[in-house]
Amino acid sequence: MAAEVLPLAQLKLPTGPSPVTAEQRYWKSFKNQKSHTSTASWPISHISFPGGSTLTSTSLTAATKQNDLFAVTSGPRVDIFSIRKREPLKTIGRFDSEAHGGEIRSDGRVLVAGEDSGRMQVFDVGQGTRAVILKTWHIHKQPVWVTKWSPTELTTLMSASDDKTVRLWDLPSNNPSRMFTGHSDYVRCGSFMPGNSNLLVSGSYDETVRIWDARSPGGSVLAFKHADPVEDVLPLPSGTTLLAAAGSTISVLDLVAAKPLKLITNHQKTVTSLCLASNGRRVVSGSLDGHVKVFETGQWNVVSGSKYPSPILSLSVITAGSTQEDRHLAVGMQSGVLSLRTRLAGPVTEKSREKAITQSALELGDMDALEALDKQKSKRKRKSMSAKSMARLGEGVDTIIPTIDPSKKRRVKLKPWQKDFRAGRYRNALDQVVDMSWPEYQPVTALTLLTALRHRSALREALEGHDEVTVLPLLKWVNKYMSDPRYLSICVDVTFHVLDLYSEHVGGSKELADSFQSLWGRVTRETEKAQMAVMTTGMVESLMMATQ
Amino acid sequence: MGHKMDANGETAALKKRKREPKDVAPLTPKRQRSKSQSKPKNGTPKDATEPKDKPTPASTAPVQPAAGDLVPTESSALLEARESSSTWKVSNPMGGRMLDIDPIFSPDERHLVITYNTSIQVYGTNDSLLVRRIPLPVTRWESGKESTTAYIVASALSKTAPEYVWVACSDGRVWHINWTTGEGAETPHTIEAKKILDMTVEAVEFSKSTQDVLFVLQKLTKASGQIVAYNSEALSTKNGKLVHTYHESPQMLRTAAGGRLIVAAARETVQIGLRTKKARSFNDLEFRFHSFGVADLITSLDIRALTRRNKDGSVEIESANLALGCSHGAIFEYTDILSKLPKVGATPATPSKAGYIHPRKHHWHRRAVHSVKYSEDGNYLVSGGAETVLVLWQLDTGHRDFLPHLSATIENIVVSPRGSSYALHLDDNSAMILSTAEMKPTMYVSGIQSLVLGDRHSKEFLVRREKSSGEISTPLVAASNPTNPAQIFLCVGSGQQAATVGDEVSTPLLQVFDTASFQGVSKHAIARTNATEANITTQGVPIIEPRVTKLAFSHDGKWLASVDEWEPPESDVVPFLTGSKTVEEACRERREIYLKFWEVGSEDTPPQLVSRITEAHHTDKPETIFDVASDPTSSRFASIGNDGVVRFWTSKLRKRDGLAATGPEGQQLRAWTCSRAVALPVCGQDDALEDSTNEDSRSGAIAFSEDGSVLFAAYGAPSEAAVVAIDTETGTLRDIVSGMFRGEVRAIKSLGSCLLMLSDDLTVYDIVADELLYSFSLKETSEAAKRLTQLAVNYTSRTFALVAPIPTNDQRLRRGAKSELLVFSVEDGEPQMVHTFPQLITSVLPAAGSSGFVLVDSAAQIWSVTEGAEQGPLLQPLVDTNMDGDVPEAEAAPMDLAVVEDEGDASDAEMQDADREDEDMEDLDIHPAVVAPQRLAEIFNAAPAFAMPPIEDIFYQVAGLFSAKPLQAQN
Repeated sequence: MAAEVLPLAQLKLPTGPSPVTAEQRYWKSFKNQKSHTSTASWPISHISFPGGSTLTSTSLTAATKQNDLFAVTSGPRVDIFSIRKREPLKTIGRFDSEAHGGEIRSDGRVLVAGEDSGRMQVFDVGQGTRAVILKTWHIHKQPVWVTKWSPTELTTLMSASDDKTVRLWDLPSNNPSRMFTGHSDYVRCGSFMPGNSNLLVSGSYDETVRIWDARSPGGSVLAFKHADPVEDVLPLPSGTTLLAAAGSTISVLDLVAAKPLKLITNHQKTVTSLCLASNGRRVVSGSLDGHVKVFETGQWNVVSGSKYPSPILSLSVITAGSTQEDRHLAVGMQSGVLSLRTRLAGPVTEKSREKAITQSALELGDMDALEALDKQKSKRKRKSMSAKSMARLGEGVDTIIPTIDPSKKRRVKLKPWQKDFRAGRYRNALDQVVDMSWPEYQPVTALTLLTALRHRSALREALEGHDEVTVLPLLKWVNKYMSDPRYLSICVDVTFHVLDLYSEHVGGSKELADSFQSLWGRVTRETEKAQMAVMTTGMVESLMMATQ
Repeated sequence: MGHKMDANGETAALKKRKREPKDVAPLTPKRQRSKSQSKPKNGTPKDATEPKDKPTPASTAPVQPAAGDLVPTESSALLEARESSSTWKVSNPMGGRMLDIDPIFSPDERHLVITYNTSIQVYGTNDSLLVRRIPLPVTRWESGKESTTAYIVASALSKTAPEYVWVACSDGRVWHINWTTGEGAETPHTIEAKKILDMTVEAVEFSKSTQDVLFVLQKLTKASGQIVAYNSEALSTKNGKLVHTYHESPQMLRTAAGGRLIVAAARETVQIGLRTKKARSFNDLEFRFHSFGVADLITSLDIRALTRRNKDGSVEIESANLALGCSHGAIFEYTDILSKLPKVGATPATPSKAGYIHPRKHHWHRRAVHSVKYSEDGNYLVSGGAETVLVLWQLDTGHRDFLPHLSATIENIVVSPRGSSYALHLDDNSAMILSTAEMKPTMYVSGIQSLVLGDRHSKEFLVRREKSSGEISTPLVAASNPTNPAQIFLCVGSGQQAATVGDEVSTPLLQVFDTASFQGVSKHAIARTNATEANITTQGVPIIEPRVTKLAFSHDGKWLASVDEWEPPESDVVPFLTGSKTVEEACRERREIYLKFWEVGSEDTPPQLVSRITEAHHTDKPETIFDVASDPTSSRFASIGNDGVVRFWTSKLRKRDGLAATGPEGQQLRAWTCSRAVALPVCGQDDALEDSTNEDSRSGAIAFSEDGSVLFAAYGAPSEAAVVAIDTETGTLRDIVSGMFRGEVRAIKSLGSCLLMLSDDLTVYDIVADELLYSFSLKETSEAAKRLTQLAVNYTSRTFALVAPIPTNDQRLRRGAKSELLVFSVEDGEPQMVHTFPQLITSVLPAAGSSGFVLVDSAAQIWSVTEGAEQGPLLQPLVDTNMDGDVPEAEAAPMDLAVVEDEGDASDAEMQDADREDEDMEDLDIHPAVVAPQRLAEIFNAAPAFAMPPIEDIFYQVAGLFSAKPLQAQN
């Protein structure tokens, strides 16, 4: 029946006009940036990740689970990176001219890439440091910009070239199984429609997006005309919606109704790259204006965004784990820099944190910290051991009564200032929370405590008994937050009390006098601001009256 | 008038109406007319004379007849007659408040007998369910008038017949009640005494038999008392044996060791009496008394006596320990007290003065020790008080153990007969049993936890600590859930006695009370509490928690809106006073007013806070929220505040950048936001507005029309308030009615086409016909009494109830204050019922789903008022249907059935099965079926009597309840 002791609940202040949303927090959590500069700073033209295209194919998820590779195309090279290590594993440099669109197959064994000469090559990426060429086609006469593996069939792939054609290939055969013609300009992007290796989509510099069906003879089955050259196309996992980046806009196309749904105009310059994220619930776009924007797929609102120092040519959200959660945000730029931002979740975070602590402790030679760490580890080990032995013990019996009730929550440990507050040592508690050099310092903590003190009629008691030095942080705090309307009321109360208690000592202490002086200055400025605001209100009101 | 026109001339609709009769004068004839209409109905000569006494029509000043708190046009005698003929009836009060009397364990620890202010209630200790409620006629009624203000002072288990309890009342009545059957409640013994203060019972061995002997502490004067012994024979002849008379303020009495030892506490002295010789008969009882002084005022005491049996068979006290809890928090322990008393010779008649005996002092409590007890083995002392901490003192080592953060002041501690558990009675009208091994509660019962006016002063008041008037000055905020009519929601504080909480009432908790089972279901904090913090400041002032001022359920019962207010105590703001600012202004600037919206889940889950609006109504400072109303047709609330704005609140899915915000479990979150704000036109003189003092005296109230299309908002300065009808769809003002209020606006309700307005008048106004139907003036009373004047509307029976304290000479609503209830229908200006309650009614609610009203009084009792034709759910005292765990009669039926079936096909294999089944039946016997009374209620209250399912179905449902396996039954 006895109530549980909980730490003082933090005050929930009214949120401002633009609070950080959960979505923004999520995308902010992609940090730990790691940059690779490509050889001779070739622009990063393409980043591909096999998982990205296999979202809908269930048969291959097992293969992608072990997959640890993604390919980055820059200049005449294709670099193969490890997802886990975030480092290049090997480089394929066997291109005569600039390489385009290096794509790893969903089983992670082979890679296909086109190049400016029109040649297409398939490499074995499995073993050895040197990639073996498995297959070469030289059918396209113009640079091949797109080579993509079918998401469902391992031996099917497509290509799109500046020779205005889109071709469908079967891996063993030397000639394309199908050639689609109809574009009147360079075809610079294309993709298989999800779940069906017969349906293809391509975007061209003739400002059209065309849907091709391998089963139907003749030209494209559907075409969408845009106002600008199409730089990228991205079919959504549903297979009925298509995104196309044309110029600085992204158009959302409905394939069933055969009409555009929405035009997204959030970018300032040409959108170069589109990618799915968060299991197909978000779309990430990169543009030459250096912005990466994240869209939700319902109303196509921007939910988050970030800025990169150079025009973005390619990007990809690389997933990992069985649940396909977003792990890296890879952005390739004009300057030849590949930026990898990583989000660690769950046990991965914990492990990496632990590693960092051990590392820093080792570096500093802090034996105490190491010992504490060891202790923690062994405690955890013991716990799991005892759980194991319990399980073994339980083999013969019907029910096991665990020693630790799993439903019982661990008791929240109180922080020192919370303990002081509970014990009625209000002055100590207050001194801790208003100290801005305190590592856990947060203005709202101080506000929480001050408000709680006011609720307990203990504000004055907490402010009493300071000397001219210890009262200074308090005045500094008040001075800093006086201007925030949410802090104003409590700041006023604290100031009244402090003036009441310590004004007689101003003559004896220069620091105190200075503090009061700056506080006075602050208050004066704030009052002036308020007066200005009132005057403005008056003027606006009279304007309003006049218009009525 | 010109001012008004300017203010009202805003909308076309209003201009068109041009309600000239807005002025007071044309209204009064209407009022007069309605009065004159009612005149012929009454027809008594007295009534005919009364209107003549009325002042001139132009004046609205009321006449004030002597009886009743309204100015009805009939005499009270007539009202009595009407009441008997009316169809309305008032139930017996249910519930009540646990008294500051030790709860009684039955010897087998299976039951706990708790003494309430008007009853004895027996609870099962293994299932916390009420087994029996034995009402006691404590207040005697003589010819309709309350004659005495008696209260129960003590109850004790009979030592010779453990199925009996003795209960003593302050006016000298002593009941001998069989708590297993309820016999004896109607036939009290009477003792000739001025006032009984305390009573204990001991089994005294006489030469022939062992008898219950009652030791009764009687008050002679303020500073003298006497202890008188009674046995059952003496009770019937009213001739007790005087044991001792002493001349100190008598207080408490405890006895031990079969009546060989008596300890009586009297402020700062202890009278200790030892029996001088073996008593052959009752008249042989003789005691030798000693007295000694104590350093502090005694608030609680316990004795522990060890007896030994001599070779000759006689019993004598080996040693006795005495523990005294005192008002400043110290506990004095006197080990082996008998050896420290002076050995005095023969003369037992003259008490010896032992002077001062040095005790061991245990001091942890900050305030009065409300209860102290020895543990069963005598190694521990258990004590508790206002700190809400149960302290266990290990006497040998001085080590202290604590069980902190209980819900309220610990009033009584009882150690169970086997010593394996403690029963605690807390000040919030709850009792619990804690097992001594784990300190976990095994039983918990709670009654209504609203403020009460106690009969006896709390132990805190032996020392003057803070100023407190001991009155109830604010109504109890309560609401009933439309989806679950059996539950009412009450806003309560952490203590119950009005006297201890001071004038600043804090009610941060929401108690869910089930009226069917008459138990508190749960209690949730809906405002800031300090349950786990010290509840007083270092200066010893209680810390004020927020006060919930409004509570409203949405029409579907899924949402709950609450308003809570907090302002710092006046002593805190003194340093902030500058210039001409008053203390009140400084307090008001620092006021915290929150409007909160809660999602009400199932019964077990606490309501979830969905939105908190910090300053729902504000000018340059947070402004009071006068009223919150819920739309009867949709999930919408409206609020009105001192800023003269009506705000409508609706919920919507929370969105962030077009994405629905989700909670931790992926559920969609909703948020309540202000969907419309309607500024009310200001009626009255404009210059009055400039006056800042006027601003604070404004008042307001709102009510939705029954179809939710119009919101009526009353707002304004005293006597100038106007009612504005707001279209809830468009927010335009449809109509303004002014001049209906005298004094502050108390409440406004809408019933059909009528508006019921409560200020210093009660006015019923037909808004469609634009006609005043009738109006009454309330008598002049204090501010607190005006606040407690409340109005409730029942839409089922189309009636409304008005509750008001009856004005007395005492301006404060202290103990003894009474309330009057009047039930009206809209059409008829005559009250359908007038009833006077012996206690102050603090809240009135329409009974959801039926045609009656539910009232909560200042003794934590619930009264239900129902229209006679209908049997309200409250009227059936389900708890009196006695589901005693001892007699599992219900199991008999399935057992018989099983046997019959087995006889039908009598093969050997089947017989084995039957054996197994029999074993199962034995299992059943071990665990008697636990059937919560509300489950029975669900069956029987499923429909009104005429629409009940066939009796056969009901039988099977009930049988199913009782024959289900215990585990299933609990699920």
